Amino acid sequence: MLSLTIAARFLKKSPGQSALIIGGIAVGIATQVFVGSLITSLQADLVDTTVGSSAHITLEATADGATVDKSLATDATAAEPLISTAVPVRTLSGIFTQGSESVPLSLTGADFEGLDTIYKLSDRITSGSPGLDSDEALVGIAFAERYNVSPGDTVALLLPDGTSGDLKIRGLFDLGAAAANERIVFVDEAFAAEALDLADDEYTAIQIQLTDVFASTDVADRLATGLDVSATDWQSQNAELLSGLQAQSASSAMIQVFVLVAVALGIASTLAISAVQKTRQIGILKAMGMGDGAAGRIFLWQAALLGSGGTLGGIVLGYALIWGFSLAPVPFSITPEPVFIAISGAIGISVALASSIIPIRKTSRLDPIEVIQNG
Amino acid sequence: MAELLVAEHLEKIYGEGDIATRALKDVSFTLQQGEFASIVGQSGSGKSTLLNLLGLLDTPSSGNVRYEGRDTASLGRQSLAALRNELIGFVFQFHYLLPEFSVWENLTMPAAIAGRAIDTAEKDRALKTLALLGLEGLEDKNANALSGGQKQRVAIGRALMNRPKLILADEPTGNLDTANTEAVYKLFREISAEYGTTFLVVTHDRRIAQQTDRILEVLDGELVQDVRNEYVAAKE
Ligand SMILES: Nc1ncnc2c1ncn2[C@@H]1O[C@H](COP(=O)(O)OP(=O)(O)OP(=O)(O)O)[C@@H](O)[C@H]1O
Ligand SMILES: [Mg+2]
Repeated sequence: MLSLTIAARFLKKSPGQSALIIGGIAVGIATQVFVGSLITSLQADLVDTTVGSSAHITLEATADGATVDKSLATDATAAEPLISTAVPVRTLSGIFTQGSESVPLSLTGADFEGLDTIYKLSDRITSGSPGLDSDEALVGIAFAERYNVSPGDTVALLLPDGTSGDLKIRGLFDLGAAAANERIVFVDEAFAAEALDLADDEYTAIQIQLTDVFASTDVADRLATGLDVSATDWQSQNAELLSGLQAQSASSAMIQVFVLVAVALGIASTLAISAVQKTRQIGILKAMGMGDGAAGRIFLWQAALLGSGGTLGGIVLGYALIWGFSLAPVPFSITPEPVFIAISGAIGISVALASSIIPIRKTSRLDPIEVIQNG
Repeated sequence: MAELLVAEHLEKIYGEGDIATRALKDVSFTLQQGEFASIVGQSGSGKSTLLNLLGLLDTPSSGNVRYEGRDTASLGRQSLAALRNELIGFVFQFHYLLPEFSVWENLTMPAAIAGRAIDTAEKDRALKTLALLGLEGLEDKNANALSGGQKQRVAIGRALMNRPKLILADEPTGNLDTANTEAVYKLFREISAEYGTTFLVVTHDRRIAQQTDRILEVLDGELVQDVRNEYVAAKE
């Protein structure tokens, strides 16, 4: 305990030096916390935008244009525990015409509960009401804005069988991606069955969501071989995005490592200077009978005090930065992850302790006679 | 009188080969409990070297220092440190007070190093020491905020705090004026009388040495004279 008291006094004796190094550690740890949380949240947001409200895996018949049976959904769920929901859908195209402009739309027909589990429609309807009856449609907000339609309006679509279908807009959704908000239309499954001339059990595809989004390729491979279907997964289709995310993670990790190295060098140099400045004190303490271990611990405690003070300050500063970021007009928010932040803090303190090794060794080896002889 | 310290054939050689200096040559003597002795000699004669060996701050090239019959040659650093803490109080020409601490904290540092709680007995002792040194009322002052004479008195107080059997002092008044010098030696005498503490004081000042009971003279690393001071002895 004497070592701790002396360590605290040494730090207090040069408050400027102590404040500088604590500030340095705090900035380092704050950077660590902020950059780490930013990248994690950014990636989670990107992944969520990409697959949060869409199918992770789509199963179709291997033969071109063939349909699948409704029972394929239950078979797939039984075979793969990672599947959280499997919904039979009927997809078709439709062409919307307004004035001289024609736009191809992608219609997905299924019962509303099924669509809700994949696309989270209940949460994403921005006007009108969730739900689908026959001859009702849900359209995206971008489509509605562009063609100036709103819930209650009726739109006419040219369907693949050559007929024209009238659909009443029940609600507008925002799936978080511009292309989806402009092109996707959800319709009732009976409407789709009629347009495609399908029997009750016949569907064009099974849309699947998983509890682990990053297992899509593995699960898709197993389903394709096990059930003899064609399976497309989001990971294979977004390989570029995923390798981008990986590169981003790697660069974020590198930033964090460099920050820690800078922190370590800062503490090490401060303590090395302090060890030299305090040689006389250490010498007389040893002459009076302080052991080598206790003398060395003075610097271990200094590192611990600087490290924990700086780390605490850094975490507070990091949270402040995250809070400040939430005030900025950006379309996503940073969620601080307590576990990541606790780990950053623990690493910060460990780095501080580790960087005291040299002054500790120097101090514990110091012979009191060196000080006594040289005044 | 009981034997406190025995120096046996102490040799100290600094450096090696051509630059080797034989700072001490075969020094042997015995110090009894309660003696008040001085070491004199010219600059470079080996006084500090001898004192540092006796204080277990340095190890002899050959020979041995025994404390109360205990051999110290075989002791490790930790045991030597513990022995210094228990048996010896040091006073140097420079005070070596810890500028980060108050007078009171500097005084109680040896007790803290020994791991003793600063209890009522310890506090009494510190207060008594302060009074003896004429430092009452200064206990809360920072050690740096004292005059040179006051600092040296605190350093002496600190050396006394563990009530060591031996005080080793190397030019303790080297930085002090005549008045302060006399005050310090008066104090040493009082402490010696009060607690039976043994003193061994290095000085190059013959007049000071004359006031001690025994004078050990070092010349070129050799103990050339060891005399009882008749004048002081007669006065007692
Ligand atoms: N660390 C050292 N390395 C080499 N030589 C040393 C060392 N310390 C002392 N000496 C030499 O040993 C001899 C004795 O030195 P010491 O310091 O004991 O003298 P001293 O009697 O205390 O002198 P002074 O009165 O000036 O303090 C001197 O010749 C000195 O140069
Ligand atoms: Mg000397």
